[in-house]
Parts: sequence; structure tokens; C-alpha cells
Amino acid sequence: MRLLVVEDEALLAAQIDKFLRDQGFMVDVASDGEEGLYYAREYNHDAAVVDLGLPKLDGISLIKTLRQERVNVPVLILTARAGWRDKVLGLESGADDYLAKPFHMEELHARVRVLIRRAGGYASAVLECGPLRLDTASKAVRVNDTAVELTAFEYRILEHLVLNATRVVSKAELSERLYAHDDDRDSNVLEVLVGRLRRKLDPGGALDPIRTVRGQGYRFALAPRRSLSAPTGIE
Amino acid sequence: MAGMAAFGLQSRLLAITALVLSTCLGAVAWLLDRSFKSAVRASAQQELQATAHGILSAAQEHDDGLVFAASEPLLQQPDSNRYALVDAAGQGVLWRSPSAVASGINFAMPLLGRRPAPGESVFAKGRADRFVFAYTVIWEPFNAETTIWVVTEWAPYRRRIATFRRDIAVGLFGTAAFFVLVQFGAVRWGFAPVRRMVARLRALEEGARVDVGADYPRELASLARNINHFVVHERDSRKRYRRAMDDLAHSLKTPLAVLKNASRDGDAIVREQVERMENTVAYQLSRAAAMPPALSTAATAVVPVIARVTRGLQRAYVEKDVAVRAPWQDADAAAANACVVRVEEGDLLELLGNLIENAFKYTRSQVRIAVAETPAGVATVIEDDGHGIPANKRELVLKRGARADAGTDGQGIGLAVVVELANAHGGRLWIDASADLGGAAVGLVLPSARRASTGKRPLERRRSRARAPRQ
Repeated sequence: MRLLVVEDEALLAAQIDKFLRDQGFMVDVASDGEEGLYYAREYNHDAAVVDLGLPKLDGISLIKTLRQERVNVPVLILTARAGWRDKVLGLESGADDYLAKPFHMEELHARVRVLIRRAGGYASAVLECGPLRLDTASKAVRVNDTAVELTAFEYRILEHLVLNATRVVSKAELSERLYAHDDDRDSNVLEVLVGRLRRKLDPGGALDPIRTVRGQGYRFALAPRRSLSAPTGIE
Repeated sequence: MAGMAAFGLQSRLLAITALVLSTCLGAVAWLLDRSFKSAVRASAQQELQATAHGILSAAQEHDDGLVFAASEPLLQQPDSNRYALVDAAGQGVLWRSPSAVASGINFAMPLLGRRPAPGESVFAKGRADRFVFAYTVIWEPFNAETTIWVVTEWAPYRRRIATFRRDIAVGLFGTAAFFVLVQFGAVRWGFAPVRRMVARLRALEEGARVDVGADYPRELASLARNINHFVVHERDSRKRYRRAMDDLAHSLKTPLAVLKNASRDGDAIVREQVERMENTVAYQLSRAAAMPPALSTAATAVVPVIARVTRGLQRAYVEKDVAVRAPWQDADAAAANACVVRVEEGDLLELLGNLIENAFKYTRSQVRIAVAETPAGVATVIEDDGHGIPANKRELVLKRGARADAGTDGQGIGLAVVVELANAHGGRLWIDASADLGGAAVGLVLPSARRASTGKRPLERRRSRARAPRQ
């Protein structure tokens, strides 16, 4: 999972960065609105945390610009002013949730997870696709009620594929979720990880959950049980 | 109210004019009446005197005494209202005028209380509403006191006086009415700038104008200038204050967020104290931001604000799948849509945002929002199907807003802010149980901005707030 955090207060940004990295996210931190806009355009994030009071380009304008450019990343806004004007303006500009400062990191984490899940169209924290059950809270995976042990990398790949089930996910997109942007990316490593994931999920070869789409990437083939229409984007 | 005061000045001026006018015209009427009455009396006396002298000069001496004759036509016509008779002391009536004989009037003698002395003439009111002129002479050869009595009925003269009085009354009342009308017009014209200022002040209060303008006569120009200055100053101060509060919130809460996260795994005392600071800062900041409405506040429609908040919350609470029954879905949607309050949009967002968010937070699946115009103001009632608030806790939850050291959890602060803000606007908050949904029912009453309502205007609200001790 790759997140964008746009927060001008360096200390707070560093805290959020550290906490979310500890939770297994890739995090891009921008310290002003323009930098945030650059990152959002450049990379494909699963969610963004945006402070409203930003230098150069304020949070609401940033979100509006993103929505106009059809960047539908789910956005959680942070407001220092508990004022409802800001919350409503933020939500009206295209944000998906709000959190008032000061907040608990756990709360931030939970909200971000919900946003990502919602963007995938899942209403519950447990994602279900056919016989596969993926609990995003405990990061536990079961196939036909049998627990499957996954490494952190394997879990991240699976979660991203399940959240984007039935859509083709490129290798570059998957790599972005495994490595920070300046790290070396090796597509061979990704192929090895996907191969291991396939064996763990489907030892018998009957399900074939992860299909390779030649020259494009991977597609998760099990039909998801979704209960939400994707809520992001301009309504 | 401002309009009544201006009307008061006008009616005061009109009342004084009316008083002076009626006193003067009354005196004039009395004087005219008096002089006309004495003139009528004098002319009657002259006429009767002339008749008496005519009779005297027409009298002829015969051997057996004096012979009188009608000296003028009036004395011959019946009912001519000019009657004469002559008598002499000790001899009885010597002559009656044909007018008296033909009219069948039989005068009882004496016509006055006494016979005038020789050479004396008397004009006085006699019996039976008649005026009598009497003149006594001593005719030489007969040597007897002979008196000529000329009589007239007073009624025709009284009719003349009455006619005159009526004419005077009509004339004077007409004059008075004309003067009052002129004065009324003058007052209206003179006070037009004041009325203009009053109307503009009202528009200003309703947010329809930004100042009272400058097109006033000399005497009011500086007042208008001062009002405009005050309004601009108030607006700027509020803006500056709000910005300062926003900046303060930002510069306090961001470091608090850092502190809170840094102390996450630290000492419990530090954590507790940070928590306490956080609540105090949040509560005191919103308390400080809860200002009474500005002098100039546009009317804000309630339903659109509810719609914005609800849309936003449904986005943020999408997975809770809350079924909202909103005012615009009610049968009485038109009445709800017409509800306007004299609260700035930002404050109304704050009030309704906190209340509806609470409902979303604590509901299981249903929220119902209703808006209605009531005698007390515009009432918004928000119900949910959550656990509700126990009856014995309700007072406490509401009172927390009035206590400085209040708010120990985040939820309480939201409600405390609402109580504070509602009080500042002359509104009221109450908590009840929802009869239909089973959860909490929270009601908020705010002063209506509708013209017809008897709600106090902002200026009076501010005054009464300044006077009333806070509960």
C-alpha cells in the first residue's frame, strides 16, 4: 500500500511517516500543497492524508485539482480548526473523510485503512473473493477456512490485487507498493513473489486466482463480494 | 424598536401643533362670538330706539289728548316682530301698534320691572324672551308721564347669532384641519431622512446592506458617518478575530498533535496532561469563537446547511449506511425550506455539523432531521436510533457547555460548543428521547429571521444578553 501524506509541520509529518511505515505502508511525504500535487500526479497512491492549512497550495485547492484531473485517490483531511466549515468544504471538494487535530495515530491508521477498503468497494474490513478471505485488520488470509501464512511483501501484493480485483494491475504499480520510489526495482523479484503467492494460495492449482496478462501485469480473477460502489471521485 | 421612536417624534410634533392650534383658535372663536353678540344687541337697540323716536315724532296733539300712529311699515304688518305700545301713568294703555293688534299679542303691563324715569331710556330683556326699549317723556299740556314701549321677539336675533357661530366653527375647523395637514406634510418631509436611515439600518441588520449610506442632511450626516464607521469597524474586528482564532487553533493544535504522538509510548502522566490540554484547548477555543451574531447578519436558510452537512457525513460514514430522513423529504418540505435564522452560515454549519455528526456517530442505522417554524423560533430536531442519552445525564450534558472546566471527552466538547454558540445567538438546545426511533432526540431552537416573527432583532438580543446573567 502506498500513501501520500501532505503535512507542512515537519515533526508531525515525520511522526505520521514513521508510524505508517511501521504499519507496512509505503509513504510519500510532501511538505506543501504543490509538492503534494506533484507526488499525487506522479505516483499511484492508495490513499492520501492531506492537512488543510498548507503553504503554497491549500488542502482544499489541492483536492479540487486532483478531482478535476480525475485522480480518484481516497483522501483523508486533517483539520486543526475543528470548524465545520472546513470539514464541509473539504468533503465537498472531494475528500472522503476528516480527522481533527490532535489525533491518535491508531485513529489515523484505522481511517486510512477504511478509506482504502472503501475505494476497493468493500464495506467490511474482511475482504472476500470466492473462497478467499482477507482480514485487513489482522492481516490474516484464509482460503476455504484454512489459514495461509504470508510474508509482509506477499500480503501487500495480495491485498493490492484483491482491492483491485478484476482489474489488470501493472508490475510497476505493484512495485510501487513494495518499494519506496527511489529504491531499486527488480521485476524479477516481483515475479518470484507472485509465484510464491500463487503456490501458497492455490497449492492444488484449481483456483488460479492470480492470472498473468501478458505484457500488462496481473489480474486477480476471483469475483469479489462487494457491497459498496466506489465512493471516491467527484459526484 | 427604531421605527417606533421615529414615529414617536413625529406624533409628538403633531400633538404640540394640535394643542397650540386648538388653544389659539378656541380663543379667537370666543372673542368673535362675544363681539358679534354685543353687536347684534347694539343694533337691535338702535332699531328699537329709532322706532320709538319715530312714534314720538309722529304723535299729534288733539283736544282730548295725544293721538299716535304707526310711524313705519313694520308697525303695521302683522307678525313683523316690531310691536309698540304707549301708556301713561295712571291712564293705562293709550295706543297699540297695528302689528301688535293684528298679531293678537296682548302685552301684560308693565313690560319691564319698572317704568323708566322721565327722560330716561331703557333697553333690556323682558318677559317671554322679548327685548324691550322703553322711553318716558312728560308731554306738556297733559302733564302725564307717557312711556313708549317698543318690543321685539329675540328669537330671530338668536338665530342670526347661531348662524354666525356655525360659520365661525366651520371656518376655524377648516383652518385648523388645513394647518394640521400642512404640519403633517412638513413633519413627514422633515423626517424623511430619519425614516430612510431607520429603513437602511433594518436592511443592514438583515444583511441586505453594508452601510446606511451618506445621503443625509447636515444634522444627520455625522451620525450616519459614525454608524457606517462603526459597522465597518465591527465587521473588520470580527474578521480579524476569526482569523486570529483560526491561527491560534492551528498553532496550538499542531504542536499538540506532535506532543500527543510523541508521548504515546511515554509516561502516563505526560499522556494524561497532554490529553487534558487538548480538551481544554479545544473547548476554550470554540468557546472563544462562539460570538453573538454580528450587527449585520444575513438570514441563513436552515435546510441547505443541513443538506451540506448530511451529504458530507454520508460521504465520511459511507460504510455505516445511515438512512437519513431529511426535511426536504417531508410532506411539509416547503415550510421547512422557508425556515431562515439570523445566524451566520459558518456558525450554523458549526451548530448543525456537531449535532448531526453526533447522530451519525451514535445511530445504528437511522437518522431523522426535521425543521419547523415555531413561536419560539426555528426548531431543528435530530433523532437517531442509537442508545440515546439517559434522562438523568441530559442536564449534565447540556450544562457542560456553561462550565469553564468542562469537557473530559471529545464528544462532550462538540455538544458544549453547540450550547455555547446557541446561547450566544439567543437560541436553546434540549435533549429528549426519540419516540419513533428510540434513540436520542436533540432539538435546537434558533431565532427566526422571518420579518413577521416577533423575535428580537440582533441589537436587542445583544443588549438583553449583556444584561442577563448566564445560567
